[in-house]
Amino acid sequence: MVVLAKEVPDLEAMVKVTADGGALEVEKRRGLNFFDEIAVEAALKLEQSAGASVLAVSAGAGTGIEALRRALAMGSDAALLVDDPALEHADSLTVARALAAAARREGFDLVLAGKQATDDEAGLVGPMVAELLGVPCVTNIIGLQVEGDIARVTRETEAGRETLSVALPAVLTVEKGLAEPRVPAVMGVMKAMKAQIPRVTLAELGAEAQPPLTLAGYATAPARPPAKMLEGEPATVAVELARLLKEEAKVL
Amino acid sequence: MSRFVVIAEARDGDYRPSTYELLAQARRLAGSLGGEVAALTLGDDAGLRDRLSGLAHRVISIGGAGLAPYSADGWVAALGSALDALPARGAAPQVILFGESPRTREVLPRVAARLGAYAATNAVDLFEDGGRLLLRRPVYGGKAYAVHEIGAGRVLAAFRPHAFGADAPAGLPTAFEEVAAPATESRVTVLSSEAGAARTVDLTEANVVVAGGRGMKGPDNFHLLQELADALEGAVGYSRAVVDAGQAEHAQQVGKSGKTVSPTLYVAAGISGAIHHIMGMDTAKVVVAINTDPSAPIFGYADYGIVGDALQVLPALTEEIRRG
Repeated sequence: MVVLAKEVPDLEAMVKVTADGGALEVEKRRGLNFFDEIAVEAALKLEQSAGASVLAVSAGAGTGIEALRRALAMGSDAALLVDDPALEHADSLTVARALAAAARREGFDLVLAGKQATDDEAGLVGPMVAELLGVPCVTNIIGLQVEGDIARVTRETEAGRETLSVALPAVLTVEKGLAEPRVPAVMGVMKAMKAQIPRVTLAELGAEAQPPLTLAGYATAPARPPAKMLEGEPATVAVELARLLKEEAKVL
Repeated sequence: MSRFVVIAEARDGDYRPSTYELLAQARRLAGSLGGEVAALTLGDDAGLRDRLSGLAHRVISIGGAGLAPYSADGWVAALGSALDALPARGAAPQVILFGESPRTREVLPRVAARLGAYAATNAVDLFEDGGRLLLRRPVYGGKAYAVHEIGAGRVLAAFRPHAFGADAPAGLPTAFEEVAAPATESRVTVLSSEAGAARTVDLTEANVVVAGGRGMKGPDNFHLLQELADALEGAVGYSRAVVDAGQAEHAQQVGKSGKTVSPTLYVAAGISGAIHHIMGMDTAKVVVAINTDPSAPIFGYADYGIVGDALQVLPALTEEIRRG
């Protein structure tokens, strides 16, 4: 099994647009993407029942080690980092090509990944990897059972939920609720800190980078003016709020 | 000269609201930049297509056995081959616009990978500035926005609901065309499906969302949220605290690890406003916060704040709205 592990800034990390709007300054508190952590946990659970091994793969330009150490600390058997300067600010398709090439080289029955990363929330890389590997993909799963070379998965739909069967090998992206990520034991953390994580370049994998979509700049989120605070008895504020929503905000 | 292709996704006997919004924006941009607007439909009902009349220069409908019932494999193959054939049909697109939806999320990335095209999801604007075509999308949960320039090279872009108004001038002469999708066998089989307590489409596409948190003091009071939502023709959402306590389904959770909503009006009742929650609703147009704690962070993200007990304010507001 291969788990795609993205290193992202902590959710609470400060994000600032530079004065010229050309870049973002992001506080350096980094870790394994929330949804990828769920994918690692799901893989480890399957490993216990099916006896497969878990390889965590990340791609970055000098980043990714923190994410992989977390995956190792949780109990992954091995880790691999695609480390290449061309992955700096890389396009999702370039990242997907790197990860797909790594998965192909290492071999896989199942690739698990988070449904999206918490930094760009794009949700592109998982399904792209499936397409590049020529295998089926199911997104946003909340239930997973593997029987031989068939996976039975459950996911939420707009109307409720559905259960699907997928022929393996496949790529599955995971939603919150599939598994509760374990907190790594101290021994696991120590082992992960000492682990020598192998690195490969795009060229070694035969993967090609494409130039990303042109970035025109960054903008700060438009700040809301301070809230207009309403005070008084519930009935009074309700009348005033309804009036403001109608006449001032014009949303009623 | 720009060419826009809008993927028209049908649902429940109509196209999704986003289809009309995207077509309207494409018409505005084609008007100012010069260009053509095409709608691409997949495996829909021929009778439905009349609704697109006047809204695009061309409506290209892909038909074939692999499209209904829906399968990701069928749609990826159909869209991949149809988009590849567009240049030969005299309609080489620059931007292919999708509405955010579960189907878009599983189909768009795969089509982009297949075509070697650019992909952008979660976008909130596509606009013209000095003759340049620009796309805006939030990053880091809305802490900043990235603006991309669309130049040479096809871009597949997905836009959040309510990104654009659907009211642009219509009345275009519309040509209807049909193409056949390649035969595809799905590698994924639906074993069963069941209806849930709430349709989440109502939450992500709703014009009004009424969301409740810990301050609602448990499921016994959730009818107050529903009653206000009904009066405003909106949908109900919940904070992570409520979902984690097992009081509501994850499908109804608003926030970082739940649904992202962009309604015209968002009412946060008894929600403190943890950053995880803000990330799921900060692009709402107007935010009303009701909380007993005057220092709750949610007030920092609200347009109107009421320091008070949601259990008392909600019914009063519902009554006032019903009164009209």
